[in-house]
Amino acid sequence: MAEKKRKKDLNFFERIYVVEIVKGMILTFKNMLRPKVTMEYPEVKFDPPASYRGRPVLVQENNGVERCVACGLCSRVCPALAIEVQAAETELEKERYPQKFEINMLRCIFCGFCEEVCPEEAIVMSKDYELVFTNRDDAIYGKDKLLIPVDKLKDRLEFLRNFK
Amino acid sequence: MPYLTIDDKQVEFKQGQTIIEAAVTADIDIPHFCWHPKLSISGNCRVCLVEVEKMPKLVIACSTLAAEGMIVHSKSQKTLEARNAVMEFILINHPLDCPICDEAGECKLQDYAYSHGKGESRFEEIKVRKDKRVQLGPFIKFDGDRCISCSRCIRFSDEIAGANQLTFVKRGDRVTITTFPGESFDNPYALNTTDICPVGALTNQDFRFKSRVWEMSSTKSICVGCSRGCNTEIWVRNNEILRLTPRLNEDVNSFWMCDNGRLNTFKFVNANSRVDGNYIKENDELKKVDWLYAISKTADYLKKYKGNEIAFIGSPFATCEDNFTMVKLAKALGVSNIDFAEHNIQGDQDDILIREDKTPNSLGAKLVGVKPAQNGMNLEGILRSIKEGNIKALYVMEDDVASISNEWEEALGKLNLLIVHSSNFNKTAKLANIVFSSSTFAEKNGTFVNFQGRVQRIRPAVSTIEMDRALDRMNMSRWDKFGTQFDRWMQGHKYDAKPGWKIFSLISSQLNFKMRYEMAEDVFADIAKSIEAFSSLDYDVIGEIGSQIEIKKTVAV
Amino acid sequence: MSIWEILIITLIKILVIVAIMFLTVAYLVYFERKVSAWVQNRLGPNRVGYRGLLQPFADVFKLLVKEDIVPDAANKPLHTLAPFIALFVAFATYAVIPFGPSVNIFGYDIKLVVADVNIGILYVLALTSLGVYGITFAGWSSGSKYSLLGGVRSSAQMISYEVSMGFSIAGVLLLAESLRPIDIVNAQYGWMWNIVLQPIGFITFVVSAFAETNRLPFDLPEAEPELVGGYHTEYSSFKFAGFFLAEYANMIIASCMIVTLYLGGWQIPYIDKVGLSETLTVILQVGAFIFKTIFMLFMFLWVRWSIPRFRYDQLMNIGWKVMFPLSLLNIVWVAVLIMIFNL
Repeated sequence: MAEKKRKKDLNFFERIYVVEIVKGMILTFKNMLRPKVTMEYPEVKFDPPASYRGRPVLVQENNGVERCVACGLCSRVCPALAIEVQAAETELEKERYPQKFEINMLRCIFCGFCEEVCPEEAIVMSKDYELVFTNRDDAIYGKDKLLIPVDKLKDRLEFLRNFK
Repeated sequence: MPYLTIDDKQVEFKQGQTIIEAAVTADIDIPHFCWHPKLSISGNCRVCLVEVEKMPKLVIACSTLAAEGMIVHSKSQKTLEARNAVMEFILINHPLDCPICDEAGECKLQDYAYSHGKGESRFEEIKVRKDKRVQLGPFIKFDGDRCISCSRCIRFSDEIAGANQLTFVKRGDRVTITTFPGESFDNPYALNTTDICPVGALTNQDFRFKSRVWEMSSTKSICVGCSRGCNTEIWVRNNEILRLTPRLNEDVNSFWMCDNGRLNTFKFVNANSRVDGNYIKENDELKKVDWLYAISKTADYLKKYKGNEIAFIGSPFATCEDNFTMVKLAKALGVSNIDFAEHNIQGDQDDILIREDKTPNSLGAKLVGVKPAQNGMNLEGILRSIKEGNIKALYVMEDDVASISNEWEEALGKLNLLIVHSSNFNKTAKLANIVFSSSTFAEKNGTFVNFQGRVQRIRPAVSTIEMDRALDRMNMSRWDKFGTQFDRWMQGHKYDAKPGWKIFSLISSQLNFKMRYEMAEDVFADIAKSIEAFSSLDYDVIGEIGSQIEIKKTVAV
Repeated sequence: MSIWEILIITLIKILVIVAIMFLTVAYLVYFERKVSAWVQNRLGPNRVGYRGLLQPFADVFKLLVKEDIVPDAANKPLHTLAPFIALFVAFATYAVIPFGPSVNIFGYDIKLVVADVNIGILYVLALTSLGVYGITFAGWSSGSKYSLLGGVRSSAQMISYEVSMGFSIAGVLLLAESLRPIDIVNAQYGWMWNIVLQPIGFITFVVSAFAETNRLPFDLPEAEPELVGGYHTEYSSFKFAGFFLAEYANMIIASCMIVTLYLGGWQIPYIDKVGLSETLTVILQVGAFIFKTIFMLFMFLWVRWSIPRFRYDQLMNIGWKVMFPLSLLNIVWVAVLIMIFNL
């Protein structure tokens, strides 16, 4: 760590700061010549890594049935109370399925607790970060918007296997 | 009294008590599955093993009699190891399906697995599979996988319900529960087994998968199914009652309630037939009007009749407060024709809980004075007078008088004025000139007096437009606490209803006879002041389990 | 030339200058946003028009369609007057700045300056000291504590730095022996630029110019972290645009003044020795003036992103204890120069 100097410790040339100012100006000038980091969004899209926490989605198996058994743990753990689940009985082996599964994207804070708590790996964070709605009702995503085929979520599921 | 020592604590016990009973009285928790304070001892779950000094092996606390000077360790190393081992054995064949199990959240096995389990299984073989989704009785589904064979349900139906319908079949790890051949598990108390089942093996068909238990708020209340007045909890989510469960009260219902009370006494609260707002009949059609209009119209109409042309019919379904204010209003109007209709079903009674009187408060109605005043007519007299045309106006509170008999229905048609308080549209409400929307038992504060003369309280569990969950200190679930008007779960329907006493006091102020009641408690204070049987009582004294009052012979049922 | 011809020529010059004024101010904003972006490794505005070149017009349009809000507590006449004072002062100064030498167009000998006043420098000084009224009025009349503090700071700051600014100019005037801007430029013929002859004066003048224009590191009157927006907190829409324009116009004037006084104005050393045609020379010279001005503007922005804002006491310290003595020293130095070299 550099030794901390007080004003009284500085000599005259240091005190007028001319050298430091010039140094600073050179630094900013150099910065101007460096490559730009801006990503021109609508044309160029950010492709998030598997660890990215985009909007939460429900995994839909290849036979068209959701993995979710409507246990309500995601709903319970959600710190923002964004998730509302209504369970119902089904003839399938899993007995229970979500008759209603709604995530209020205005409440969601993308913490990923729902994914972490899910015993079925049925809710995962996707890479989707483009969330637009124009009223409160549209912000409540139902099963129609939440169900995503398992093939599209392979990245994330693999990531969870390795690191969760 | 003899003493024994449990976990370094001196515990007093009665001769003949077991260790676990002594521990319960001293607030020491010894884990148990098969033991239940009201059932015989089975001793098959082995989870209540405790270490007793000078005994060579661990003993089960539920069937070992406590003895003077006994020293019991329920949390020693040896006990814990044994308990963990027992948990591991029980969990060997128990499926890991808590996410889909309705018991999750109030499951003994879940709790103990959390506090005593290893967290992971050493069992690598395939678990024994048994029948799932077995329809044991009309309201009960049985899941063989989850059953830990504690036999609580078998003992309950044998010992408490008095209907020996269940039994174990097969042996070893294939043991399972079934009904005797040709029997259905249909005794009137069968659903209590879903409460005492320590796991999710027996589930209530009516409530199955409707809600997780932690999503609901629970409110201590009273069952309105009969004059027993079983203590209950009302479980509410999204402003909708989802289930009733019995609540311990040794003096009334112990741990139990009947299936009829559990299943059929709350459905009308959210039924489509609910009266939502007030109605006034114009041109033979009921039209919705606001409170102010309905109340001023009522006052105007009532003023047109003389006291002896009016009759008031109270209700054993309504609270003491509602009946009391009705009587007060009737007397202020100079009406002496006051009575209420009893609703008895002859023979539908047993030694356990069920009573013939199918109303929760007939004794209370009598006590607060719903009876003919001097020279007044009783129910039959009122019916006769209506037919003769002497009584022209009838005020009916929360009772479906028209359904009593065809005679009544015809008589009601002859009236010039029929005013009805009703929570649901029934025959009487449809005949009425004015219908007031009254709160149900789940939407108001009040008291019922059961057949024993026990005053018990009901509390609001469902909010109406005039009752706010937070402001009126109703019990709230996490969802209720943090919800906003924009959340769908907060948009459960709120009915526009008021409790009877409030409607009466509003009418009375229109008639320049003011009853100054702000809340149900004020009405009860007035009852306690003016009626001897209730003296020295208030809502705090009644509390959660009610209080017994002295009843004079003259009013006894 | 008849009076009518002079009038028409002057009118045309005024129109051209005002048009250029608005354009340059608009593009200075664009330029500032671009430079700021580059310093921060960003791209800057690039959506409206080719490479974002229409961005300034979008900005102006946006400002004009906004609601004009006047606070209840405001003194309405002064509140309305303030931005116009600021604008007027900024634009009026342009009149005396020479952009190039005389040119011959259609047989007319035209000086590339709107008004060739013999006391041009005095005129500039007078107007810039008027500029403080715009800001002070704005601060006082808004009826807001932030505005008032901004206004008070601004007046104190401008008065303080005007002193060292005036003394710095004195050095230039001693050498040029004239208050006429064209004479000052002509006096810097060849390499005899004032920046070479009196570097201390150049530094004090530049620093004072930064302070006078309220630019970083001296932007205390509108220091966002402390004063919301300073004197223009309570302004919106067109009136805010007025202050905005004035600030950038002031920047351009300051750059022009620096170029005129110290960087030899339109002079390109020894261009007349090369033997180019007269027209080409004039074009090159005007080009040189523009280039120098743009360089100084770039300096403004460059400094903005390099040096943090001063504290108020530091600002006053530098103004009175450093810049003022230095500008006096500069006068002594110039006097010595004149004595020794008999310039």
